[in-house]
Parts: sequence; C-alpha cells; structure tokens
Amino acid sequence: MRILVSWLRDLVPVTVSVDELAEALTAHGFEVSAVEPAPPIPDRPARGEDAVLDIEITTNRPDCLCVAGIAREVSTIYGGAITWPPVADAPAGDDALPVTIEDGALCPRYAASVAEVAIGPSPAWMAARLEAAGVRPINNLVDVTNYVMLELGHPMHAFDLERLAGGELRIRRARTGETVRTLDGVERALDRDMLVIADGARPQAVAGVMGGADSEVTDGTVRVAFESAWFDPVSVRRTSKRLALSTDASFRFERGADIDAPVRAMRRALQLLGEIGGGAARGSIVDRYPAPRDRATVVLRHHRIGQVLGVDVEPDFVPATLERLGFSVAPESVESDGGARWRVTVPPHRVDVGREIDLIEEIARHHGYERLPSTFPALIRPPAAASDALSRQRLLRRVLTAGGCSEAITYGFIEEAAALPFVDRPDELVRIANPLSEKFAVLRPSLVPGLLDALIHNRRRERRDIRLFEIGRRFTAADGETSGFAVALTGSSVPRHWSGGERPTDLFDAIGLVDRVCDAFGVTPAYEPPDERGTLVADRAAAVRATAREAAEAVQLGHVGQLAPTIAQARGLPADDAIYVAELDLAAMARAGVDRRRMAAAPLPRYPSIVRDLAMVIDAALPAATVRDTIRSVAPETLVHVREFDLYAGKGIPDDRMSLAFRLTFRAADRTLTDVEVQQAMDAIVAELKTTHGAVPR
Amino acid sequence: MSALPAVDDLRATFRAELEGITTPDQLQELRNRYLGRKRGVVTALLKSVSQAPPETRRDLGRQANTLKQEIERALAERREEVARTPAPTDSQAKGAETVGKTIGYGADPVTLSPTVRAELSVRTPVDVTLPGREVPLGHRHPLTVIREEIEQIFTGLGFEILEGPEVEDDYHNFEALNMPPEHPARDMQDTLYLDAPLRARGARPGTLLRTHTSGMQIRYMETHEPPVRIVAPGLVYRRDTPDLTHSPMFQQVEGLLVGEGVTMADLKGTLETFLRQLFEPDTQVMFRPSFFPYTEPSAEVFISCVFCSGDGCAVCKRTGWLEILGSGMVHPAVLEAVGYDSERLTGWAFGVGIDRIAILKYRVEDIRAFYDNDLRLLEQFPY
Repeated sequence: MRILVSWLRDLVPVTVSVDELAEALTAHGFEVSAVEPAPPIPDRPARGEDAVLDIEITTNRPDCLCVAGIAREVSTIYGGAITWPPVADAPAGDDALPVTIEDGALCPRYAASVAEVAIGPSPAWMAARLEAAGVRPINNLVDVTNYVMLELGHPMHAFDLERLAGGELRIRRARTGETVRTLDGVERALDRDMLVIADGARPQAVAGVMGGADSEVTDGTVRVAFESAWFDPVSVRRTSKRLALSTDASFRFERGADIDAPVRAMRRALQLLGEIGGGAARGSIVDRYPAPRDRATVVLRHHRIGQVLGVDVEPDFVPATLERLGFSVAPESVESDGGARWRVTVPPHRVDVGREIDLIEEIARHHGYERLPSTFPALIRPPAAASDALSRQRLLRRVLTAGGCSEAITYGFIEEAAALPFVDRPDELVRIANPLSEKFAVLRPSLVPGLLDALIHNRRRERRDIRLFEIGRRFTAADGETSGFAVALTGSSVPRHWSGGERPTDLFDAIGLVDRVCDAFGVTPAYEPPDERGTLVADRAAAVRATAREAAEAVQLGHVGQLAPTIAQARGLPADDAIYVAELDLAAMARAGVDRRRMAAAPLPRYPSIVRDLAMVIDAALPAATVRDTIRSVAPETLVHVREFDLYAGKGIPDDRMSLAFRLTFRAADRTLTDVEVQQAMDAIVAELKTTHGAVPR
Repeated sequence: MSALPAVDDLRATFRAELEGITTPDQLQELRNRYLGRKRGVVTALLKSVSQAPPETRRDLGRQANTLKQEIERALAERREEVARTPAPTDSQAKGAETVGKTIGYGADPVTLSPTVRAELSVRTPVDVTLPGREVPLGHRHPLTVIREEIEQIFTGLGFEILEGPEVEDDYHNFEALNMPPEHPARDMQDTLYLDAPLRARGARPGTLLRTHTSGMQIRYMETHEPPVRIVAPGLVYRRDTPDLTHSPMFQQVEGLLVGEGVTMADLKGTLETFLRQLFEPDTQVMFRPSFFPYTEPSAEVFISCVFCSGDGCAVCKRTGWLEILGSGMVHPAVLEAVGYDSERLTGWAFGVGIDRIAILKYRVEDIRAFYDNDLRLLEQFPY
C-alpha cells in the first residue's frame, strides 16, 4: 500500500520526520518497505516533508489499506486528532434508482446513487495523488471512486446508467450459462456461485471483483449509477479465484471491508464530484441494508494482558489506546482480584477483532514489543529423550559419513520420467495436482533418482569419485509416505595415491556400506537374488532381507546393486560409468534391528583362538552364504568366525567351478582348545561340504 | 655374609665388558643388557629375589641392590670418560650420525641402540612432505549441520524433538491452525496439492504437501497432555518458483511451548538465547509486530545483520537488521482446536527457515545451491 504523507496530513498531524514516521509504523506492525520521494502535488499544501511510504499491510488489517486506516494508527502513536474529510449532505428526494438485493447473504448491504456528470480529466492534484498511490488516473468519474477507495478504504464502482436495461440494479447470483465481458475486455463465463450486479436483463458487473465493459463509464456518459456496497468476503474470494481475476476491490472485499462505510464513502464521492466540478447527485442515496449488524463487544481483563505478555501495562493505557484506534471502551465492575476490566465495542472496520486476545495484541503493539522483558519459561516437566527415529537418523549419518559418503538433500518431487522406472505401475506414483512445472510433477517413489541427478551434477563438474547418500521420505500410492536412505557410488573406491593402489568402486563397496549400516542398527542382513527389478543390473544386484526382531518373519529391507545403465544414461550420464546404489527402508531396519544403545558388552576372550584356512573347489553358481551356512551347521560352537578370504576361478580349476577359501577361527570361552579338537571339527566340515555340495579340498 | 656366586660372577663379567667400551652407544647397549627394564640381567636378578628361599632372600636382595648401584656408578663414570675422548672418526660412527641427522632425532644419537640404528640405517629415507593417504570421510549437508545445531540448542533448553509427515491433510496444515477454508492468509503459503489423497497414518488422508511443520504442533497436542515443549524440524513445500531466495522445498524448524503462565516475554528470552547461541553471543535481537493466523500477538524477529554487524549493507538493505523468524503467542483458537483450555493455558510458537539461516551463516548467495548437492560446496562444511 502506497501512502502519500501529505495526503495523510489531511487527516492527522504528522509532526515527526518521514523517516521517524516510517520507523514508527514498522514498529507497530506496518512494515514500511520503501520510502520514495513524493511527486509534486499541485494545489495541495504538503505541510512539511513529503514522501510516498510503501507499506506492507498484513492480511488481518484490511482497514489499513487506505489513508484513513494509517491515520488512525498515527493518531494512536502520536496522539494527534483525526480530521475526517468532508462529505456531501445526504441528498433528499426519492430513491435515485431501483435497487433490489436478491441474495442478502452474499450482499448484506448495497448503497447506490445517481449523478449527472460531465466526463473529463480530473484536476491535477487528484491525478497526482492517485499516481503517487500507484493508481492510473482515467477520468474524473472513475478517479473519484478510486480516490475514495484510497482515502477511506471502501471500493466503489460507477455504471453508465443509460446502459443499464430498465435503469435498475439487481444483486443476484449469476445464472447458468450467463457471461459478462469485464472491464479488461475478457468475456467471462459465470456460474451460480458467483454474485453479480445485473440490470433488468443481464450481469453488468462481477460483484466486488470487476465491472462490466458494457456499462463502462465513457467520455459520452451523462448519468452514472454509483455503487458502494458490502459483499461477503468468502464469496468474493471464491469468485476472484475461480475467474483468476484479482483487483483492488476484490483484494479489499475478500479481506473484509467496513460494513458501515458504504454510505459515508458514497457521500465523500459526491462531495468530491461537486468539488472538482464533475457533476451532482440526482435523487437520494439508496441504502439497502435490511438486517443491520450489531457491533461486537469483547471483554478485556487487565490481568489477562499481563498473563499473556509477561509485562505490566498501566491500566490507564488500555482504554486510551483502544479509543484512539476507534474502539468504544466502557469500564466494567472491577474483578474480584481488584483488576480492571472493560467492555470494548468493536468498530466494524476492525474485522480482525472478535475476542480478547485480539485486543491484547492491540495493547502489545502500541505498548511496544521493545518494552517486553526477556524471561524464561519454567521447566515443569522433564524433557523427553530424543525420539528413536531421530537417534537412528543421526547414527545412520555418522556411519555413512564415516563410510566416505557425503549427504545430499534432493527435491521431494521429481519428473515423472525419472520416477517411472522405480514403480511397477504408473498409478503407483503420487502426482501433484498443481505442479510448478514438469520437473516437479510427482512425489519421489525412491531416493535414487534424486541422488542420481546429484551424482550427475558432480560428474559434469570434473568429479569422478563420488559417494553420496540421502535420508528422506518416499511416496507411493500403495505404501504411502515412508522413510528410507539411499547411497549412490561411482568412480574409485580407493582414491589414487602416489604409493599406488587405486581401485574402482564395485558392488561390494555398496554391500560393505549396507553391512556397516546394518551392524550399527543391530540387523543381520541376508543378500538374496532380487525380485524382478528393472532399475538394477540383473547379475549385479541383491535384495537385502533380515528377520524381524519380535515376530520371526522375513523383513524386506531394500536393494543394493548396480544401477541399470539405461536409467543413468537417460539422465545424461556417460555410458561407461558404473553406478552402484542401495536403498533401504528405515522402518524395516528398526523392525529387524536391536537397539544397540541398550546392549551389554561381551566379555573379552580369555583363551587363545586357533585359526584354520580351508579352500574348497565348488560349483561356481553356489552362493558363498550357502557354503558358509553348511560350515556353521556342522561346526562345534567353538567356531566363532567364518570369513571368505579368497575366491579363484581359472587355470587349474574346472570351468564351471571355483575355489572358495575360508578362514575359520575357533575359540572356547572356558579353556584353551587343542589341535585335536579343531582338527576333528575341520574334518567334519570338509566331509559335510563334500556330501552336501560335492566340494573338493584344493 | 658371604658373597653369593651369581652376584660375583655378574660383577666380574660386567667389569670385563666395561673395559672394552669406547663409544656412547656401546655404553648404552651395555647398560641395557645389565639394567634394561625388560632384558637387563641385574633387573632379572632383582626380580628373582622374591622367589628365593626365605633363608637367602634377604642377602640376595641386599647384594643384588649393591651390584645395581655399583654398575650405575661405573656406567656414569665411564660415560664422562667417553664424552671427554675425541669424537670417533667418520667411518666409525657413520651409521649413528647419518641416522641421527636423517631421522632428525636431534644432536644426541647416543640414545639409539645399535639394534635400532641397524634397523633404521638400511631404510630408504622417507619424504614426509608427500601427501598422506586420504581417509574417506563424507560430509554432512550444510542444512543438516544447521539443523542439528538448532536441535542441540533446543535439546539443551529442554525441548523434545519430533518429526511429522510431509504429506499432510488440510485440517492439520490449515484448519486447526485457525485458517479455515477461504481464509485469505492461505495465500501467504501457496500450496501444492496431491492429485489423489494419499493413504494416511491417521484418520484423514493426506491431500497436500505441508507448507510448514506447524501441523506437527496439532498432531502432538492432540495426543499429549500439556505442558508441551517440542521442536519439529523437517522439509516443507511451497508453490514458489525457484530463484535466489526461494525454493519450492526448504527446511523449517517449528517450536512450540504450552503451559500455565507462559508469556510473550518468555518467548523473547528463549529466542534471544537461541539466536545468540546460533549466531554470535553479542547478536542483537529485535521483535516486531506481525501477523500469522495461528499466533496472536505475532512477532517477526530480526537479528543485527551478520554481514555488517548492524552498520547497514546491501544484504540488510541498509537497515542493519535481518529478518530471521516468525513467532507469537499460540492463538487460543489453536489451543481450543486440540481440546486444550485456552483460559488456563498459554503458549508460544515460532518457525524458522533452516535454509535462510544457512544462507546467512555461510554466506551462500543462492538457496538453490543447497539442492544441487555440489561436492565442491558440501566438502567445505565440517563433517
């Protein structure tokens, strides 16, 4: 809202500098975002330093979308009395024209008058003031209505009376199929929820939004019908949204106009019209207000102000402030505790005030936020521990950063094309009804597409070795919103060092990270051939499963594998880059894990262990995990650790077979093991491997 | 008391060996062999005293101690003699000197035993200015760094930290927060809606992406009795076209405190503490009236500009102040929506954008940079 300071001075004395005024308004909730030099205003005294203040008016204060509203605040801040602008005497005589309200709910009040006019340009002072406020002058008629809106805050409209069929106004809902060409020249389809101002035949204006072009005031207009009404805010807002048409009028009506203002605004318009020689009223002002509204009253208790604000406000300050803001204040019987209380009548321009807290806000604003002390709330209940979900996230972040992965945060919505490979059917995707663009069309079903884009972003900026992770939500129609984490790796696993030893990232880097995370969560993962999954390379992928802690059921944790090159290439990655990804579900991890914060440390071994290596030639297709399980199944409990340490296929080994070497560690908790015992165990293991898998010791 | 044979033998052998000593390191080696903590023969003798038969234990102990003192004295004397004799020729001491200089142990190669010297002298000298092996360590995202910092501050102030769903229903995102349908304040947060409702955890299916984490306030109060002291961080979404200062997705932390006797002055004190911990201890904090439908009175909170310390610069538009968060006293209608007694209880809430703080703290010019995940940016931040 642009407020011309010299215009403000018409209504209220401004004795401070413009900068001080701007600062004071800002400190009272009216942020002055810019102070601009004022244009010269002919024939109107500036009475001091002039400027245009650009003021941000919060949505709860439509009464301050005008000079008068700001004047009330200035009067309250500095104490000067308000001088209301002159208004014309209400003209006597018969009703100027027939006005019928057909829908009293959407239009509780409608005032109209008729004037005979001579259309021409406005005087220079009026045009200059309008321009300073950011409104383009058009002609004296339209300018008067805009001037009144800027000064008193009430939107008005003027119809060319000769163009109104039957010379009458009917306020009614639009009929199915009706249209109106609005002042901007657009033909608009109306519906039954929209309120219109019609003549005897058809809509001539969209109520509270915009007038119609057919009854527009033109240079040839000789008689006008002025409208000064009050429309239901919700209806205006809906209509404005539906028509995608927001105007100065709709902006004010949807926030709430002053229901007492229509006649006052009308009389001000007629006064201005006479003052600038633009015309004169003919007939009396019609005021259709069948059910006048009572003013709301609110009880304000002095002690409650202190309870909310934590500051002691002088009792006398309260009625003085509220009265300057336009409230009527009547002291009520003193409360039992001796505190003062008041019955406050709310003026209709204060649509934001309906209960005690609204008045406390007024007191807080004018008493000054800077006068609030800084205190601390008492801690009455012991704080709760960090939630499990949050602790798990922090642990996860520690493990993954320690694993060399940097954290990415990617958008929750992605392109449909990027999301599609990660769902079985397109209708699994959760779509956004009003996306900003195609880039943000669906909610991500997986964290991988976002990570992939982040990885590609870095790949295109000369980075070869990349390890990224993200913790975030995924969305599918079937599963709803779920929490998960994903990693994406490419380039070298061991970065090049002058001592040598560079190694490219492979599947087992990804599996190793998953192992680490599982360990941190107390989960024992099993890697199995994945179900059909087009996003991963068939022979370089695994489903990660575990067993639930509480029920002995399998839990699907997620997947790990090499990302299908087609997916990466579709996003612009060079074809020869291998990307390894893993994505696991955090709820599943929690279900399968034990809380490592509640663990007890195992006693350290007191007796030495015996280590034996065992290389077996087996079927090349046999999973190591199966061999490992066979070993464990026949080994005594003194076998504490089995780990593969070598895998060989090639010269000396038959084509479809491989040599898999295990390191077995035996240890007893209560004694030193003997070679004999261990040898017996080894013999049993070898025998079992021969029987079960046809394995041959190498 | 007769001398014990073992002690005498040792003494004799030592005397003989001492005669042959000419260099400091020979001397050191001899000392190690007799008095070394682990291998010294006299040390071993002293240790054996406790195992000796009771009748000889006392004598053995005394004699062994005497021998130790004798040897120490003799070694000290000989050290002085050796030091007085001219330095050995180059060829004689080459090993020791080379090692001493190369390794940089200082001017006293005497401290190196022959064994150690032998081991080191065969090694190739190492260039310690070559880079060490990279320890792969990932970086937390800068927004996480800030978020965890904020969580830590509020944990210290006794707040519980919670997360809520990103897909919300209209009731929790707007209506219960005093924003009924068609409320003009809904325009303040341009909302992204879902095509079809998403299966929800609660009774109401999610229909929109939350525009703030304030819905968590409602969810928490619906299921918990007062007093309430929570902080809810998380991602939020708005239908904002991305530019330098806007992102359609960003992170927010919402705080809520409800109880008896909670005042706006408490809000001021708490937020001042929070902002001074987060920025600088001498940060100036200013409260200004504002409007949010779910708080009343509402306050916008400003801090003295982190770039110019309040002198006025381009970032603060010459005002010296930066807007940092929105806050206020919880609107009674919000308390009533969750069934709280709005007469007995008061509360306050605040919401702060993590991205905005990161921009100000780290002087990142473009909010979009946080979502590019460029490692050249990420790797600048502490782990």
